[in-house]
Amino acid sequence: MQMRKWTIVPALLLLAIACAAQQGNMPNASIAAVPAALPQSQPAVASGDVVIRGGTIMTATHGNIQNGAILIHNGKIAAIGQTVNAPAGAKVIDATGKFVTPGIIDAHSHSALDGDVNEATSPVVPHMMMKDAFDYQAKDIYRALASGVTSELLLHGSADMIGGQAVVIKNKYGLERDQLLFPGAPQSIKFASGENPRRVFGSRNQLPSTRMGNFEVMRAAFIEAREYMRDWDDYNGKVKNGDKSARAPKKDLKLEALADILRGKLLVQIHCYRADELLTELEIAKEFGYKVRGFHHALEAYKVAPQIAAAGTSIATFADWWGYKQEAWDAIPWNAVISMRKGVKVAIKSDSDDYVRRLNQEAGKMMRYGGATEQEALQMVTINPAWIIGVDDKTGSLDVGKDADITIWTGHPLSTVALADKVLIDGEVYFDRSLPGLGLTHYSKPMRSEGGGFGGDDSGVQQ
Amino acid sequence: MRNQLPVVSCQLPVQSSVVGRPSLASLSKRRIHLSEGHGFSRAVSFAKKFRALAPEVSILSFRAAFVFFVVCLCLSIAASAQTVVLKGGKLLTITHGTVDNGVVVMQNGKITAVGGPGTAIPAGAQVIDVTGMTVYPGLIDAETHLGLTEIGAEAMTNDLVEPSDEIMPHMHVYDAFHAETELIPVTRINGITNAIVAPAEGDSLPGQDSFIQLAGGNRDEMILGRDVALPMNVSGDQRRRGGGGEGGIGGRFPSTRMGVVAQLRQTFLDAQDYASKQNAPASSASGDKAAPARPGKRDLKMEALLPYLQGKRPVVLTAHQADEVLTAVELAREFNLHVILNHVDKAENVVDQIAAYRVPVIVGPIYTFPGDEERYDAVYRIPAELAKRGVKIAFATYGDDHNARNLPYQAGYAVAFGLPYDDALKAITINPAEMFGVADQLGSLDVGKTANVVVANGDPLDVRTDVKHVFIQGKEIPLESKQTRLRDMYMPK
Repeated sequence: MQMRKWTIVPALLLLAIACAAQQGNMPNASIAAVPAALPQSQPAVASGDVVIRGGTIMTATHGNIQNGAILIHNGKIAAIGQTVNAPAGAKVIDATGKFVTPGIIDAHSHSALDGDVNEATSPVVPHMMMKDAFDYQAKDIYRALASGVTSELLLHGSADMIGGQAVVIKNKYGLERDQLLFPGAPQSIKFASGENPRRVFGSRNQLPSTRMGNFEVMRAAFIEAREYMRDWDDYNGKVKNGDKSARAPKKDLKLEALADILRGKLLVQIHCYRADELLTELEIAKEFGYKVRGFHHALEAYKVAPQIAAAGTSIATFADWWGYKQEAWDAIPWNAVISMRKGVKVAIKSDSDDYVRRLNQEAGKMMRYGGATEQEALQMVTINPAWIIGVDDKTGSLDVGKDADITIWTGHPLSTVALADKVLIDGEVYFDRSLPGLGLTHYSKPMRSEGGGFGGDDSGVQQ
Repeated sequence: MRNQLPVVSCQLPVQSSVVGRPSLASLSKRRIHLSEGHGFSRAVSFAKKFRALAPEVSILSFRAAFVFFVVCLCLSIAASAQTVVLKGGKLLTITHGTVDNGVVVMQNGKITAVGGPGTAIPAGAQVIDVTGMTVYPGLIDAETHLGLTEIGAEAMTNDLVEPSDEIMPHMHVYDAFHAETELIPVTRINGITNAIVAPAEGDSLPGQDSFIQLAGGNRDEMILGRDVALPMNVSGDQRRRGGGGEGGIGGRFPSTRMGVVAQLRQTFLDAQDYASKQNAPASSASGDKAAPARPGKRDLKMEALLPYLQGKRPVVLTAHQADEVLTAVELAREFNLHVILNHVDKAENVVDQIAAYRVPVIVGPIYTFPGDEERYDAVYRIPAELAKRGVKIAFATYGDDHNARNLPYQAGYAVAFGLPYDDALKAITINPAEMFGVADQLGSLDVGKTANVVVANGDPLDVRTDVKHVFIQGKEIPLESKQTRLRDMYMPK
């Protein structure tokens, strides 16, 4: 976990105060319990072992196992194969006739932010933390979970050239907020480009109102951040040399966040459509020395795929959306497979509270549009988005040692007719279709009412 | 907001892509010219004229008879050249089950034979081996805006609804239908061959629908029916536009659902009154029985409503939630309208009531969100619940026009939630054909129907299935679109 100083320091301070306050009248055991209240706490782990038996196991990394088995121990995949040595008393989930895949992962979501998607008052707001708007009770999470989705990257919107920092969640609907945060996930930041920033600010007669303006705003921000870093380097150098007269520069949240981009501490996720802008973004990243983790939407990636691949950048794109705006006019449903064949790591993402509910079908379309293999298509909604988010060492495939984030489907998961039957996160069932009511295992309260709707996720901004 | 777009960005999409990307300039010249293929329809009308002349042939000179014979010979050669046979596929006939290893014969734009492997294949026909493939009738989308929109966010490319008034039944979709839209080739190569084109739901009565086929050289070859239905909305945005909602500051009637319904009721009363005056035998006011009938001034709004008040054409009632369904049907019954219900996506509590109405339903799109406190699949299950009660349902992609090609997947997903497979297929073929009165020509693989036929390499309702042939009026449609041309430029060989 790359937690920044100013979040960890107050957290530790609070912890110290809490401990101090409680030490008087609480047994020592309570101290051990206190860290559970911290952000990024340990997940609620199933104590018992679980075995999933039967069915077609689609690992996403090493092919399918017909009529195989998975052993889950302490919330992790402990064994997978034709057979596993399950301890007596392990809970058995019979998946005979069903399909078992890694939980689906959405690398581009604005769910559960209660409409607080864009801080569109300035084109550079890298210090906005989406966690501060994370509405962990929003029913979007329930619906995504019920559709086999176990993790999501909740991003800032695309109104700003440099937006805020994302939050990575596991869809453990019904638990408390901090129990939904993905432990150890790296911090991502959202950039945008193209029509949205120029329209949002241009409509107010502010900079930027053109693509030229867009990119100048970015360059200016990074130049300012460099100066800020130099001031701190100077100061730290003086302190190191024992200069007592050295005065610390003022901490600036915004510049500190920009500096973290330049220091390579944040995964950069860029909303970008057109081929020329994809190239410009790579150019600016090179100029200022940071890497672009993922281009989002990237509908013209197929035109410049070799350049994207060479930069080690991935894309998170739509399966077949097009034409909803000018910069989506050259979108083609073969974008994903053409880009993949030219060496780009490709994810299919939702950017929608609606489409997140059938990402498996969206991936299935890639078998038809360009001939992705079954495993390639499945990777586009599992291990590849996990890589974009930076959690591919923890989830996104059925491999030993990974979190037991698993979806069991009633039919072939890349077809139109598959339903998520059971969804496990960290080895525990969170959704079971056979249960009455909502099908939830960790939730019994009535659901909170809240707005939302198709396409309304990135408020006031078109995807 | 759209109106505030700078003028400079309001270019036509094709122009801007050509200007912005010269490498694509050549693409625009490669448009499919379907009119080339319509020679055969001219030949057909030619043949009809000759059939009409046939009785007179006996009195013509030998020379003329010889010329006629030669012409007939040429025509028959031309006709057989137009005969296409699909052989070996699994036929989803819709009306008479599945035929394995079947044969479909298409001649002069019509289906002339459908049957098993023993079906006679006309001599000289073009035979396409479709062994292992699935053959089914062209799909019909029960509500789209195809031809009314090009780029969603670019106002100048959208002619969706006339928002100046709530009552606009005299708006005709055919007046805005843009036959050259890039959306149509994108849609048809996934097997959608026909669609209803409706105005958007911004008004209580936004105008009248057209029924199209997704191929043809121009508007008149594509629009098969003008003013085929009248959408009526009691649940759209129109009430908010007037008064900004209840207590709103707009101050314009109507601003509530009560207002919307009262306005509609008054409109139909006015139309009845208009009809009675138009039909009055003579001016009775003057008491002069000799005076000739003198109809009042024509009123296009009122005139537009008359066929619907006479029950001649369907009124498509937009209603999402239960109360809207009840209100809309009540109003329609008051004026004896011929009803098709639309959406009902939040009306799961009144499915029994809907079944009791005995009206067909365009259901969905099923991707709208369920209501608060509802299970995640509350909307997905509605098609199955309606079908189970004997309701005739159809699917529509309404609002998702760029991806109207995904119509069959909506039907497929409803299957996952309990809709019988055969009902799902009917809901995108014969059912919408019946709802809009074209079932004698479309919606199934039956002899005598228009040869709109699709061949795919699997289940048409599955996202993984690829369409391999599309025939519209018996003519094979090249599987090309703006998107395939871009694909072909960049796909690695």
